[in-house]
Amino acid sequence: MTTLSAQAKVMTGNHAVSHGALLSRVQVISAYPITPQTQVVERLGRFCEEGRLEARFIRVESEHSAMAALVGAATAGARTFTATSSQGLALMHEMLHWAAGARLPIVMANVNRALGPPWSVWTDQNDSLSQRDTGWMQIYCESNQEVLDSLIQAYRVAEKVSLPVMLVLDAFVLSHTAEPVSLPNQETVDCYLPPYQPEWKLDIADPRSFSGLTTPDTYMEFRFKMQEAMERALEEFEAADAEFQALFERRYGLVEAYRCEDAELILVTSSTATSTARVVIDELREQGRPIGLLKIRLFRPFPARQVLEALSTARKVAVLDRNIGFGAGGIFAQEVKAALYNHLQIPVFGFVAGLGGRDITPAVLREVIDYATDHAQPEDLVWIGGKP
Amino acid sequence: MNRETRFATASDLPPMAVSRSDTTANKTGSWRYLRPVIREKLAPCRHACPAGTDLPRVLRMIGEGRWREAHQLILEENPLPGVCGRVCYRPCETACNRRHFDEAASIQALERFVADVCFDLPPEAAQPQRRKERIAIIGTGPAGLSCAYFLAREGFPVTMIEAASKPGGMLRTGIPRYRLPRRVLDREIGNIARLGVQILLDCRVGEQVTLQQLQQAFEAIFVATGAHRSVSLDLPGGNRAKIMPGLEFLKLVNAGQPPEIGKEVLVIGGGNTAMDAARAALRLRSRPLVAYRRSRAEMPAVPDEVEQAESEGVAFQFLASPLRLRKRNGRIEVEMIRMELGEMDSSGRPRPVSVPGSEFTLIVDSVLEAVGEGSELADLAQGLLVSEKGSQVLSEKESLQFLEAGGLLVGGDAATGAGTVVEAIASGKRAARQIVSRFSREREVVRPAEEPGTGIPFSDLHLETFTRSPRKDPPHRSVAERIARFTEVVGPLDAAAAVAEARRCFSCGVCNQCDNCWVFCPEGAVSRGADGYRLNLDYCKGCGICVQECPGGVISLVQEGQ
Repeated sequence: MTTLSAQAKVMTGNHAVSHGALLSRVQVISAYPITPQTQVVERLGRFCEEGRLEARFIRVESEHSAMAALVGAATAGARTFTATSSQGLALMHEMLHWAAGARLPIVMANVNRALGPPWSVWTDQNDSLSQRDTGWMQIYCESNQEVLDSLIQAYRVAEKVSLPVMLVLDAFVLSHTAEPVSLPNQETVDCYLPPYQPEWKLDIADPRSFSGLTTPDTYMEFRFKMQEAMERALEEFEAADAEFQALFERRYGLVEAYRCEDAELILVTSSTATSTARVVIDELREQGRPIGLLKIRLFRPFPARQVLEALSTARKVAVLDRNIGFGAGGIFAQEVKAALYNHLQIPVFGFVAGLGGRDITPAVLREVIDYATDHAQPEDLVWIGGKP
Repeated sequence: MNRETRFATASDLPPMAVSRSDTTANKTGSWRYLRPVIREKLAPCRHACPAGTDLPRVLRMIGEGRWREAHQLILEENPLPGVCGRVCYRPCETACNRRHFDEAASIQALERFVADVCFDLPPEAAQPQRRKERIAIIGTGPAGLSCAYFLAREGFPVTMIEAASKPGGMLRTGIPRYRLPRRVLDREIGNIARLGVQILLDCRVGEQVTLQQLQQAFEAIFVATGAHRSVSLDLPGGNRAKIMPGLEFLKLVNAGQPPEIGKEVLVIGGGNTAMDAARAALRLRSRPLVAYRRSRAEMPAVPDEVEQAESEGVAFQFLASPLRLRKRNGRIEVEMIRMELGEMDSSGRPRPVSVPGSEFTLIVDSVLEAVGEGSELADLAQGLLVSEKGSQVLSEKESLQFLEAGGLLVGGDAATGAGTVVEAIASGKRAARQIVSRFSREREVVRPAEEPGTGIPFSDLHLETFTRSPRKDPPHRSVAERIARFTEVVGPLDAAAAVAEARRCFSCGVCNQCDNCWVFCPEGAVSRGADGYRLNLDYCKGCGICVQECPGGVISLVQEGQ
C-alpha cells in the first residue's frame, strides 16, 4: 500500500503526529501531558528547543487551559496544535465547543484511551466519540503513515472550512508501536499547505470582540453556518485527499471499501481493527466466502453518501464498535444505521469489542462475521470477546 | 451595537460572532459587586524600624541604580544611614517577610551601601532659619543629632551643647572603630552641622553653663544626655583591685588612650558593652574571658556581636558570677560561683541562682565590669524635669503639655536607660516633632512606625513571580586581620551584589511598578502612568486577577458600596 521513499523513518504513531505538526509548520502549541499522548508534545518541545520548529510552546496547568490558549492564539491568526487523550479530552469539553463555535481551525491529536473509572490507559474510542456533537471534525487512523498524512490534510480542510479537526489514533497499538513512515518533503508540504491567513482575526490595530453575546435574532444562523461548513468539509476532504495523492502518491478516502465486490456481508470497522480485518477478509475470501470490509476514516462530518454507496450491494452489514453508547449500543453502528435508513432496507448487526484495550484478534473478527452470517435478523447488541 | 441592525440573510453574517467595532461602549454597568482598590500598606520592615525608614522604596531605588535618590529617601527619616548601616540591631531584617520564603533581605548592608556610595557627594545646603524660636539640645549623641537635624530642616535655629571635646556621644565614646569608622561618624555629624546647627563643645551643663541660663536663652530645650553612668556590682575588694567599668575602658580606647589591662582580662556582663569591651581588649593583645550569670540564650547583646566575638577568640564562661576580688602579687584573684537558671523574673528571663559550694577562682590581670548603664539625668535636671516621669518615656500629649509649661523635653537613653542607636534617633525625631508642634500648632501626623499592627503579613503577598535566591551578606575581614588592629570588620557589598540583593525585596504593601496588574488585567482596565497605575472601573469586572497578581499585596478587593 505504501511505497517507502528515501526519507522513510521508523517511528511510533506518537512521533508520526509530532512530525506531522512539524511539517505543517504549526506556530503555537499548548498541551498538558497525559499517557499515552505525552511523547507527542515531548518531541514537539524538542523540535522547538532545537529551533527546527519556530513555534511558541505554551505550558499550562490543564487541558482546559491548553485548548483555551489555542483558542486565543488561533483567534489571533496562528496555526495551532495540541494533543491529548481520555480524561484530558473530557476536561477540554467546554473549550471544544468554544473552538468550533468560534470557527477556529485548531488541529488536535487524540490518542484513544478508555475513560475511567475504572482507571485504564489502554485504547477504546469512548473519549473521542463523547465529543461527537462539539462541532469538531474527526478522523480515525489505521497506520502511522496515515496519522502523519492525515494531520497535514487536517490543516488543509480545517482552514478551508473554519472548523477544528480531531485526529484520532489508538493508544499503544499505534501510539507506541513503531512502523516505517515516509516523510514528505517540506517544500512540497508548503505548497500543499500555505500559511494560515484567516479573514477574521484579532488585530490590535482594529480592535473587535469575538464570541460575544448574540440574541435569538442571530444565534441560529451561526449554527446553520457550522452545519453548512461540515457539509462543505466532505467535499474539501475529497479534494484535499485527491491533491495529496497528486503530490505524495498516497490516498485514503473518507471511507475505504476493501474487497466489497459481490460481498453479501460487509464488515464495518475503524482505526487499527481495520488492519486485522483485512487479513481475516483475505482468509475468508480464499475460503470462497463473499465477505467485504468497509473502513470508516472520517467520522465527522459523517460521509453518509459514501457509506451508503459502499454498502449498497450488500445483504447484511456487521458494524464493529470499540466503544459503547450506554443504553443504545455501538456508536458507529448507530451512525451506519442512520445513514442507510430511508435508503436501504438491510439488516445492520452491531457488535461491541475491544473495550479498555482488550485485543481485537482475528478470532474476534471471525466470530463477528460468523454471527452475522448465521443470523437472519439482528437482535440485541452483541458483545464479542467478553468473559462468559 | 445599534439595536436597529438586522441581518436579512445568513450570508450577511460573518462565520463567527464578531463585533463591528471595538468594545469601549461595552461598560461593566452595575453588576460588579467587588472592586479593586490600589491601597498601599505598611511594610513590616518599615513598621519595625524605629526611625520608620521607607525601606521598600529605598530598596527599589537601589535595585534600579538610583543610589542618590535612595540616600535622600533614607535621609527623610534618618540622618545617620552610614551609622545605622553599620551598628543597627536590624529590626527591619527580623520583620522582613522574605524570611518566610528563603532569607530576609540584607537591608542593613544595603543602607550602608548607599551611605558609602554617597559619602563624597555634597551634603544638603544650610537651611534658611525661618523660625525665630531658638532650640537648645543638650547632648550630641544619636538622639540629640536626630532632633537637631529634623528641627534644622524645619528652619529652627538649633544650638547643641556637648560636654566632650568631640560630638557624637555614645557613638564616639562607646562604639569601637572596628564597628564604626570615625570618618563615617564625622561625615554624618558634619552633614547635620552644615544644615546650620551650632555645636558647642567642651561645654558641660552645670559647669560652663547653667540650666537656668539655657532656659532664659532658649524657647525649648531637649535633653539627650544619654546613659553614660556605669552600674557597678560593688564587689568586695573591688576598690583595691584593678577593676574598671567597661564603658570607661571603651571611652579611653576610643579616644586613642587605651589603659594598661595586662594579658588576662575578665569581662563581667552579657550585653553589647561587654562584647565591645571584650573585642577591644582582644585587639589590645589581651585574652578576654566574658563571664555571664545566665546562659547564652539570655544574653542581651545583639547575636551578631556575640558570634563575631566568639569567632575572633573571645572566651565565654556562662552561668558564672563573681563574688569578690583580691589583689595578689600584682594580679587579681576573682572568686567566682556557678549559677543555675531558676524561675522567670520580671524581665521575662530565668533568674540566675547561685549553686552552693560551686565557688572557683580565676586569676586575671584586670577586670572590666559591664553590667549596665544608667542615665545621668537626675544630676542635671535637679527637679526641673517632671520628677516622677524623669526616667520614663512621656506620652506625646504629656511631653507637649510639659513643653508648653516651659519644661524640658527629655529623650534618647537619658529617658529610657541604655537602648539602641536607632531608638535614640527615633526619640530625637519624636522630640523634634513635638517641638515643631509646640510652636506651629500644626496637627501631628502619625508616623508609619507608630501605626498599630505589624505591617502587611506574608500571607497577603502573591509571590508566584519570585524564585528563591540566597541572601547576600556583606564580606567580613579574616579574624587575623580583624584582631591585629581596629580596622572595620564588615566590608561593603559591591554594586552588583547590592543591586541584586535590593531586587530580592518583595516590596510588601508598596507599589514598585512591576506592571503585573497592567499585564494581567483581562479587561484592559489598568492604565500605566509615570507615578503608578489607575483602574478604570468602567471596564473592571471585579474579577480580582490584579489582586492575585500584585506581589506586594497593594491591590485589595472591596465590596461595592464600601
